[in-house]
Amino acid sequence: MEKGAQQYVWEGAIPLQVHLHESEVTTLPPPSPALILAPRIGYLPLLASQLKPFFSGALPPGVDTIWFEYKGLPLKWYIPTGVLFDLLCAEPERPWNLTVHYRGYPGNVLIPCDGEDSVKWSYINSLKEAAYIIHGSSKNVMNMSHPDQVDLWRSVMNGKLEIYNRISSKLKLGVVSDEFSEKLKPSPSKAQHNVNDDEATAALKTSRIPVRLYVWTFNEDFEDLEEAPHFDSWDQISYINRPVEINEKGKYFTLLDAVKSVLPEFYQDSLNTIKSEVKNEQSVELEEESVETRSLPGRPVIKLLRIQGIELKMKIPFSWVVNNLMSPDYFLHICLYIKAPKLVGT
Amino acid sequence: MASDSPITSRKVVVHLRATGDAPILKQAKFKIAGTDKFSKVIEFLCRQLHRDTLFVYLNSAFSPSPDQLVNDLFNNFGVDGKLVVNYACSMAWG
Repeated sequence: MEKGAQQYVWEGAIPLQVHLHESEVTTLPPPSPALILAPRIGYLPLLASQLKPFFSGALPPGVDTIWFEYKGLPLKWYIPTGVLFDLLCAEPERPWNLTVHYRGYPGNVLIPCDGEDSVKWSYINSLKEAAYIIHGSSKNVMNMSHPDQVDLWRSVMNGKLEIYNRISSKLKLGVVSDEFSEKLKPSPSKAQHNVNDDEATAALKTSRIPVRLYVWTFNEDFEDLEEAPHFDSWDQISYINRPVEINEKGKYFTLLDAVKSVLPEFYQDSLNTIKSEVKNEQSVELEEESVETRSLPGRPVIKLLRIQGIELKMKIPFSWVVNNLMSPDYFLHICLYIKAPKLVGT
Repeated sequence: MASDSPITSRKVVVHLRATGDAPILKQAKFKIAGTDKFSKVIEFLCRQLHRDTLFVYLNSAFSPSPDQLVNDLFNNFGVDGKLVVNYACSMAWG
């Protein structure tokens, strides 16, 4: 596993400019917006203590229940901050202007959040869910010692990758064997390369990859991301939780293959043609081109695909994506804008 | 929702199982639309048991987010053609 890529992901942060909602400002002049860096792999409610000094003096009397909003859309706090940014800011806004509220929690849109404990609970449960998908059981996570659980959560909160890797490796949730990336790595000697091959083969414990997809489907095209309409409701976004099954070793399984496999509604016909197309490198090029530029009637077009803020080429080996870009909860979070005709029954 | 289709508009059988000292329901099995969110199962349970909060798990393993689709949960974690939901009044598997 390339340590470099994972480190970039863990060190990634979104610059935020947080404004207190005008209805909650009781001082004159109103407080200045807070400029803070939010870790990509973190969660918005964890910023509460950082924001407190900026706004606590201006709030009306009452109980504080923090929540965030972007252009009127209450933000779901259990979604990692980086994913929210990638999904909702088609044209990345720097800094990202968010509004913070301490009153009037929108219980009809957001599930309750009682601060750090709620976020930790959500994280641990996602981890258990991932373990269940990979191993068919959450035992490894459930049997973690209490100190390990605490340290693991703290390492995520504080972005301590070394500690995270040390503890999470005990969970044996594995990496995906990646023959193709392995072969591309420069190896010091042939003997060394063979050892790596053996290790890679032995490491193929998992063939079910936990994935969370955030999909916006539209049918009227637009040129620039700047023209993408902004979301005023979560009903416009499909939250899809389906594992990717990597079935055949030795077959070159791309990111595009993975996306198609978890969206059968869009790719019913082309699923059968993946195998023949992928064998030929040139065909993969054509496949990628057609997905991104041509818009045949009835053919879905991926307008935007982002993972950890990166717009990846669709023919990249999926195993590389998983091993390097997955989140601390062992899920791969994928943001997708897809142009597709309206499906039957919608 | 964008991905509705004849397949996803099916009903999913949910089997509710009491854990610890949680009261046992007279009617423990019911059907719910696959396109509904898991929050509907939680709300149903809370209403039936006259409680504000419950701890709800799948296969005695983890608590899914209320925003997850019943279809996805069934496809990923369904056992013997049904979704097994365990509920408790206090944290069972923390």
